[in-house]
Amino acid sequence: MMPDLQQVGPAQTQQWAPEVNVPVVLLENVSKTYGKIHALSEITLALSGGVTGILGMNGAGKSTLFNLLMGKLKPSSGSIKLFGTDPWKNPAPYARIGFVPEHEKMHDWMTAHGFVSLFARLNGLTRQEAKIEADRVLDFVGLADVAHKQIGRYSKGMRQRVKIAHALVNDPDLIVLDEPLQGCDPLARTTIMNVIRELGKMGRTVLVSSHILHEIERITEQIVILHNGRLLALGNLHAIREKMDNIPHTISIGCENPKELAKDVINNDAVFGISFPSGDNLQIQTHNLNEVHRVLPSLIVDNGHVVNSIDNPDDDLESILKYLTGGLA
Amino acid sequence: MMVPPKKDNVFRALDRKLGAVAEFTMRQYRTKLSTWVVLGVGFIAIAIIVLFYVDSMQQEIEAIDNDGDSMDWDGDGYPTGQERIYGTDPGNPDSHPGTFSPPIAPDPPEKWINEDDFDWDLSATGDTTVGYDDDGDCRLADTTESQKDRNRNNVNCDIILDYSEMSGRWLQPQSDGFVDEDPDEEKYSREAIHRAFLLAIGKMGFVFLLGIFLPLFLATGLIREEMDNSTMHFMLAKPIARRDIFLGRIVGYLGIVWPYIIAMGILVGLISGFAGPGDGLFRFADLGIWMAIIFATMLATLVYGMLFCALGTLWKHGIVLALPFAAWELGMAIVSFNAPAASILRFSVIGWSLNIIDAAALIVWPNLSLFIEMGQWGGGYAGDYWGSQLEGADALSAFASDTGLGIGPLATIAVSTVVLLFQALVLWIVGSAIFKGKEIE
Repeated sequence: MMPDLQQVGPAQTQQWAPEVNVPVVLLENVSKTYGKIHALSEITLALSGGVTGILGMNGAGKSTLFNLLMGKLKPSSGSIKLFGTDPWKNPAPYARIGFVPEHEKMHDWMTAHGFVSLFARLNGLTRQEAKIEADRVLDFVGLADVAHKQIGRYSKGMRQRVKIAHALVNDPDLIVLDEPLQGCDPLARTTIMNVIRELGKMGRTVLVSSHILHEIERITEQIVILHNGRLLALGNLHAIREKMDNIPHTISIGCENPKELAKDVINNDAVFGISFPSGDNLQIQTHNLNEVHRVLPSLIVDNGHVVNSIDNPDDDLESILKYLTGGLA
Repeated sequence: MMVPPKKDNVFRALDRKLGAVAEFTMRQYRTKLSTWVVLGVGFIAIAIIVLFYVDSMQQEIEAIDNDGDSMDWDGDGYPTGQERIYGTDPGNPDSHPGTFSPPIAPDPPEKWINEDDFDWDLSATGDTTVGYDDDGDCRLADTTESQKDRNRNNVNCDIILDYSEMSGRWLQPQSDGFVDEDPDEEKYSREAIHRAFLLAIGKMGFVFLLGIFLPLFLATGLIREEMDNSTMHFMLAKPIARRDIFLGRIVGYLGIVWPYIIAMGILVGLISGFAGPGDGLFRFADLGIWMAIIFATMLATLVYGMLFCALGTLWKHGIVLALPFAAWELGMAIVSFNAPAASILRFSVIGWSLNIIDAAALIVWPNLSLFIEMGQWGGGYAGDYWGSQLEGADALSAFASDTGLGIGPLATIAVSTVVLLFQALVLWIVGSAIFKGKEIE
């Protein structure tokens, strides 16, 4: 069987057919162990449609989970089904899946267009069809004008977008993105987030992993939190946050005159504590984060304060984890 | 009426993906410096061997007086051969043809060098007698009867050639005295050196050197490098089975290596065809050997490619696992020169590959073993002299060997090809199984 290097004729037909009425992603009691180390334990998860953020600190098991989904690792126990098929045994479901790996290495000698059309051909497209598809997806991620430059000359954000383009080339129903925003400049970040949101609106199932909460927050509210290989929470980020409103939060304000600002802030009922870590910094303790954020801007503007920064140093994944684990994190 | 488009079955779909992987692999090779270094070193190694050959073809082959009759032992100005023909005493300065009436002028000594060349029919089959006493010194009256019929077949001044059905080889010739005892070195050695070169460069240069080292450096990393660079993630996330990735990578590797081998074979074949001895401008008969060399090397690079790619997939330092195999194959190459029928050769790749070249040599030069015997026999018996081996005979004897399977040359080529393809198939299955079981981080 010699390779058909000319590749003329119709595209491939789907021999494999996805099962109907099953979740797109279905994990049942999936564990992955390396000797005594449990990279993932007893994960049960069913996902279909919409954008889901997979949140977890580094080493929480996000990449292990994705590698299991992409058939690169074999689960130590439990079963994984994508469209009803086990990916370790059969790569056919990947005809409907796009994957953006975390790794930075790419084939730098290829042009973006060559790279994307190569993988389009691996989806069974002919050479001509692959070129058309490559143009389409590179335009979708905003790289149409640089598509014929070598990947090696791209910035980090552009490379990330090429990876996304290559994953979208088969018009997949499930898109898995492993840390797609890592190391990107703000512009690339915005573009990538828009692309992901767009895909969600199109009704695709999208999995995005990140270890930074507000990245995910800007994309989706549906989250899965992994911690030390365990599934810690699953559901709406908003709901989780509301529960957290009863625990104290800290807001850090960088300003020129913290003492003056403190006088104005302390009158608010939501604020129950104030401290001055340094000469140009004010920290507020509150039980009601939303309320403080609502009144703070007008308070600052009305009294003419000069404010450089407002941060919620503990409004991050770590504090959510601390809350969810009862301080054990 | 519309012709319905050909149904696209699973094989055609696989074919497309395989083609894409193969094409990608070929383009990837082209961008790597290491590819060019390996191919360049291979070219230089072959070029050096060819230079030695071209040099040896330019060098004059010294004409040797195998029977010593060009010497003038008694110092009377007449070479021994001339004195013996005229019946004078080569050991007595006062006895020479110059004393005859009218006196005979002395021959130049060169006339008595290479004066009794081989008169052999190399197309002989079965037992036969050959040889003619060109210089007449066997038929002289003073040559004793026992010298005239040393081989005791009741025919004077001939040589018996014996063909052994058992070994399929010609035995050492049995000659009467003074027959074909001073052969023409130039004529024999040039041909022998040329044939030895063809077999040597084909077996050691192409099948061993290129056949093992190209796959060692080019195929070992085919899967492994992609795994280590984590660029394999892209390919594994597409609907293509790992055994097809494995095969596609091998096809891409062959897409670089096979044209290279064919080009090298044609290049060296042209050089040796024009530079080699013979009446014609070009040695067309050698093309059969060159086709076999190229074919055997292509099969060897296929099997070793599968093997080394599988070893590279198995372990990060696959080249360490590959080296013992390369050493084993070198050992088997040496065994095949000396004991081509050894059954241990069946457990090698090179044994089967070299069989193809040996079989082709038998087709192109059907009486190769007789030709070797001829050179090793040298000049036979000539009074006080025993013929000495002719240059090139030993080299040819070292590099030529029997096909070892005990079947005809064409059958040997067919069987060896099937075995090598089978080896490649098994190694593909094993290699894909290793790759399929690999967990890739």
